[in-house]
Amino acid sequence: MSDRARHPPRGLIGAAPAPPDDFVAAGPELRREGGFPVGWLIAPATLWLLIFLVLPLLSIVVFSLWNTREAAEELGFTLQYYGEYFIAEGFFDSTSRNFLSTSIFIKTLGSTLYFTLVVMALCLLVGYPIAYFLAMQVGSFKWQMALFLLCMVPFWTSYLIRAVAWLPMLGRRGLLNKMLVGLGIVDKPVGVLLYSEFGYTTALVQLYVVLCIGPIFFSLAKIDNAILEAARDMGATPFQIFREIIVPLSLPGVAIGMIFIFVMLMGEFATAVVVYGGKTSTTGTVILNYYAIANYPFAAVNALVLMLAMMIGVVIILKLVDIRKEL
Amino acid sequence: MSKRGAKTERGGKGGLSRRQFVGTGAGAVAAGALAGGFPAIVQAADPVRSIGLGVSVINEIQGQAAKDLGFPVRGQALGYGAMFGKMLNQNEQYEIAEGYFNDMDVFQPAKVWQPIDTKRIKEWDKVTNLCKTGKLTPDSREGQGDAPFRHLWLDENGDRANGPSRYVSMVPGWHNADSIGYNPEETGRKIESWAELFSEDFKGRVALLNIPQIGTMDAALAVEGMGLFTFKDKGNMTRPEIDFLIDFLITKKKEGHFRAFWETFGQSVNLMVNGEVALESMWSPAVTAIKAEGVPCVYAFPKEGMRGWHGGLAISAKASGKTLDRCYDYINWWLSGWAGAFVARQGYYMSVPENVKKHLEPAEWDFWYDGKPAATELPDPFGTIIVEKGEIRDGGSYWDRFKNIAVWNSLMDENDYLVKRWTEFLSA
Repeated sequence: MSDRARHPPRGLIGAAPAPPDDFVAAGPELRREGGFPVGWLIAPATLWLLIFLVLPLLSIVVFSLWNTREAAEELGFTLQYYGEYFIAEGFFDSTSRNFLSTSIFIKTLGSTLYFTLVVMALCLLVGYPIAYFLAMQVGSFKWQMALFLLCMVPFWTSYLIRAVAWLPMLGRRGLLNKMLVGLGIVDKPVGVLLYSEFGYTTALVQLYVVLCIGPIFFSLAKIDNAILEAARDMGATPFQIFREIIVPLSLPGVAIGMIFIFVMLMGEFATAVVVYGGKTSTTGTVILNYYAIANYPFAAVNALVLMLAMMIGVVIILKLVDIRKEL
Repeated sequence: MSKRGAKTERGGKGGLSRRQFVGTGAGAVAAGALAGGFPAIVQAADPVRSIGLGVSVINEIQGQAAKDLGFPVRGQALGYGAMFGKMLNQNEQYEIAEGYFNDMDVFQPAKVWQPIDTKRIKEWDKVTNLCKTGKLTPDSREGQGDAPFRHLWLDENGDRANGPSRYVSMVPGWHNADSIGYNPEETGRKIESWAELFSEDFKGRVALLNIPQIGTMDAALAVEGMGLFTFKDKGNMTRPEIDFLIDFLITKKKEGHFRAFWETFGQSVNLMVNGEVALESMWSPAVTAIKAEGVPCVYAFPKEGMRGWHGGLAISAKASGKTLDRCYDYINWWLSGWAGAFVARQGYYMSVPENVKKHLEPAEWDFWYDGKPAATELPDPFGTIIVEKGEIRDGGSYWDRFKNIAVWNSLMDENDYLVKRWTEFLSA
């Protein structure tokens, strides 16, 4: 009894938490048993994050304000680059083509966001059934793991190789076109497969879907079979079980997967270059272009706004699903 | 003093101490070692560090230089953006900048490089007039934009000098002229004008270079070729000119005229090899790479003239004393021919052709410089055979090619505006 009080259950996700009193008792005890004080334990990570995350972030903020480009007499700070980002040139000028129009950079961020949302939805549509099949339909644990690893195999190669691999698949002389011509569906190769919205979206879904299969699979696998049996015993239809038990219980996995995909896609630029032939701008490519002409302040502004947009997105996802509670 | 200048000044402290170390030779090295805290300085005691693009910074070249000169030469090849940034902001991190004349509007006022004394360039007299006067041959046209001769001459303080003087910004090096590459089987006809880039016949089978500064110039040459518009200076467009061009490009893009926009050499090769495009703006070494894949490819020699670019060797403002001597040694070595022959086998030209000739086989010289059919099969710099016997280089001889440069790669005054509108074009 006292033993249990001193060592609250650990390691079992979802096990009932011990009463708060026990924790109070356990805290100092653990420390006395020879561990480092918590402060020391987190010191390396804190230091690491401070040097490699916080400082660079701060320097980006400083850069975004730095007036380094014009032939200013003194090193100065300016909000000019933020102005350029948000307000199109000629915004207040009724004779200008840009009168009261949204700046190209906000438009680009908007289209980046739009593509991100579309691809997230498609990833969920494709990824959820796969995860469901793995967790619910495959009986043996061994097979579950084997199939899950199979899902991961393409991800053992580099990201770029996976993107480039779409070229021989979708190109004019690609596999798909050969098939279409061979089957007589089209009489000459079609160009819409590659360097098109279609090709771009397809590639993005394939590149990122596994990021949501994983978390959804794990949250589905955690669902206690007894709950499902109980529901069945009480006469629930399979659809009811799915809607009222499985979906709610898998939401944390969905949320985590969506956060991964959202953050990765918002920063995406390489696929746009490789699979879309550079025929679109994303905020990522804008940052690259401005970096290339050594306009660091403006690249920094773009990076910061992008980061802000990502944070807002993540917060919204977390508001929709309370991961802490659900886990 | 510009802010950038101020930055350089502050960075100057480290440079000063290195200058002292290097200046007093071995004793200084020992002192540096004793001083501790400056391991990088001790390590870097003597090598000449050179940065640039993969065009001129190649292990074999700097390796050969080190062998011939007897001191270490360390090359670092970077992407364009990284190179540009490092050259501008970290001139204590290199001694030699293998830069490009079209960026001189940024580097010259920043004074990150020191004026080079032509009296210390042994074969200065042998350097052709392409960069000195803008005319390789007396009947050459100078070309619009950042032609090297407009950025070459400086006074001893590093300010621009009018016309020939004793000091230069960079010692002219490797250069070439770009145009359109095409697959004759796909186009069905010879391409002789930039205007073909926007021909309805090739709708959906065209790729442009996705580097705003250069892509717009190719497009401008095409628009002029079509007789749609005449730019006052394609190398330095005004806002209305940029607007006209980008609006035209946006219309074309919405019609589905472009198959893709390429950013890297490899992409341009793949686009043609995979049959995605019939013609595209291209860099000349791509032709060889495409042919090597068994796909026919011809480099056009448009009647409007080609788009030229020119690289060269600059010395960091931080280099001095013995290091500075070695910088001059390295530059003199570049002009002496071996390096020029190396890059010739990749299709680039060098500012002292007569020295290059000494290091090339006669058959190589005839093919690469004289534009004659290859008498034998010819290798690239690494020994792979890339030219078949009897093959002929498109565009004629070096002198024919460079007497008709329409425009040079340039950095426009309205560069920021250009990039902004280019972003709009890509998003459209």
